[in-house]
Amino acid sequence: MAATGRQYDAALSLLDRQVVDPRKLPVANVDDVELETGENGELWVSAILVGPAALGPRIGGLVGRIMTGAAQRLSGRGPGRIPFAIVTDIGSAVTVSVPVADLDVQPLERWLRDHVIQRIPGASNAAE
Amino acid sequence: MKKVFAITLGILTAIGGFVDIGDLVANALIGSRYAFALAWVVPIGVLGICLYAEMCGRVAAISGRPVFDVIRERLGPRLALANLAASLLVTGLTLAAEIGGVALAMELATSVNYLLWVPLVGVLVWIVIWRVKFQHMETAFGLLGLFLVVFAVAWWKLGPHWGNVLHQVTHPALPPNEGLPTYLYYAIALFGAAMTPYEVFFFSSGAVEEHWRRNDLTVMRANVFVGFPLGGLLSLAIMGTAALVLFPLGVQVDSLGQVALPVVVALGKIGLAVVLVGIFAATFGAALETGLSVGYTAAQFFGWQWGKLVRPLNAARFHVFTLISLLGGVLLIMTTLDPIKVTEYSIVFSAVALPLTYLPILIVANDKDYVGDRVNGRIANALGMIYLVIVVAASAAAIPLMIATKAGQ
Repeated sequence: MAATGRQYDAALSLLDRQVVDPRKLPVANVDDVELETGENGELWVSAILVGPAALGPRIGGLVGRIMTGAAQRLSGRGPGRIPFAIVTDIGSAVTVSVPVADLDVQPLERWLRDHVIQRIPGASNAAE
Repeated sequence: MKKVFAITLGILTAIGGFVDIGDLVANALIGSRYAFALAWVVPIGVLGICLYAEMCGRVAAISGRPVFDVIRERLGPRLALANLAASLLVTGLTLAAEIGGVALAMELATSVNYLLWVPLVGVLVWIVIWRVKFQHMETAFGLLGLFLVVFAVAWWKLGPHWGNVLHQVTHPALPPNEGLPTYLYYAIALFGAAMTPYEVFFFSSGAVEEHWRRNDLTVMRANVFVGFPLGGLLSLAIMGTAALVLFPLGVQVDSLGQVALPVVVALGKIGLAVVLVGIFAATFGAALETGLSVGYTAAQFFGWQWGKLVRPLNAARFHVFTLISLLGGVLLIMTTLDPIKVTEYSIVFSAVALPLTYLPILIVANDKDYVGDRVNGRIANALGMIYLVIVVAASAAAIPLMIATKAGQ
């Protein structure tokens, strides 16, 4: 990370921050990070992991196991993954360069939208 | 001119929106039982909420980050999850109490049993959350809440000897037959009612919903430092009328009708009409705020899209969660649990939950990553620390006192 010009403490500046898209719309929270080892043995952040399946292990205990189990059973897959390459800024929020609609990291949001919210009249109108 | 209008409107809605069912019940109950012996708690609570609302308004305006976002970043996921569970419980209980309050106001106006009004109130609250623009909602209920100024008019009309009132406020004395633990228990309840955590959740999320920026800070500060204290004066007026009319008779408030009674004694039928509109607006407005706050806190913890700026279609999890909470609140009141009792418990539990909410706000209001050069000054930090001590003490003492006094009996 030093190569980018500013050092970040991944635990303080990255974990648990809000991820937003270029229009500042919320994408997810940084629930965990994926680390990879480079050629010289240095660790680098390769992806941001999101969703209850990523958060569960960090909560730990029974609550954490329920969270992970429920998320995996409902979505049928592991945590959502946002490649670190699309991160453009780290401030009070983490900004990514891809619009939220093009990121496939919100399975529950999509299911509830298609099966519940869309069926209620006025769902697609902005409040007036 | 536009700025003057914005400031005036902001202050007026802040005054009208300040009082909710917790303030109505706590102030009337305590006025009827202790006269002015606990009045000193009100300014302490009001200064506390001003101090912390200003901090989180500033954080939200400059960084765009609302309170619960910040709580998770600073406390880590485990403590933040515990705080989320506690906050959802307290805010959900408050939501149920507000719905009950609206229904009780409807019963007083129509003589139709409040339980019949509860489902209708639930549906109306949901429609407003679903359809009405944030600013319109805030302004309408804030301005209607100003009808509660009738408490101040009634207080003046009752014509107390003001020197005597001031003496009682500044020299608090326990009434005969009252113990110190019960006195302290009610002090904490009154403090909890003034500093309810949902107020900062809602205030900071509202700042994001209304697109506040750095140059809106003046308007925000005017709302907080002028509007909130004037709202606090309304709380005192509720206590004052109860102290003058109910305390001498030995009547202890246990219904919403008794909260309104002193106004009727002072001003007759007109007073009753006005106070009912005021109570309706205050509790309905607070039902909207608590309902939204439940959704805000959960969404901000998990990083979901939230709020009324986007179409419901684009904030599906937020709207589903809010809808389920509303349903829960309606069902809780439909069990015929007394809404006044629900209110009393909700404000004491509020006091218990305070530290985990206020500590992260104080930390982040000093963090340059969030507020740039607008970090806390020395006075804000000194007062913030003092309040943190008070909040921790109140939180630790609340449950033991609740058990020792059998919830204030």
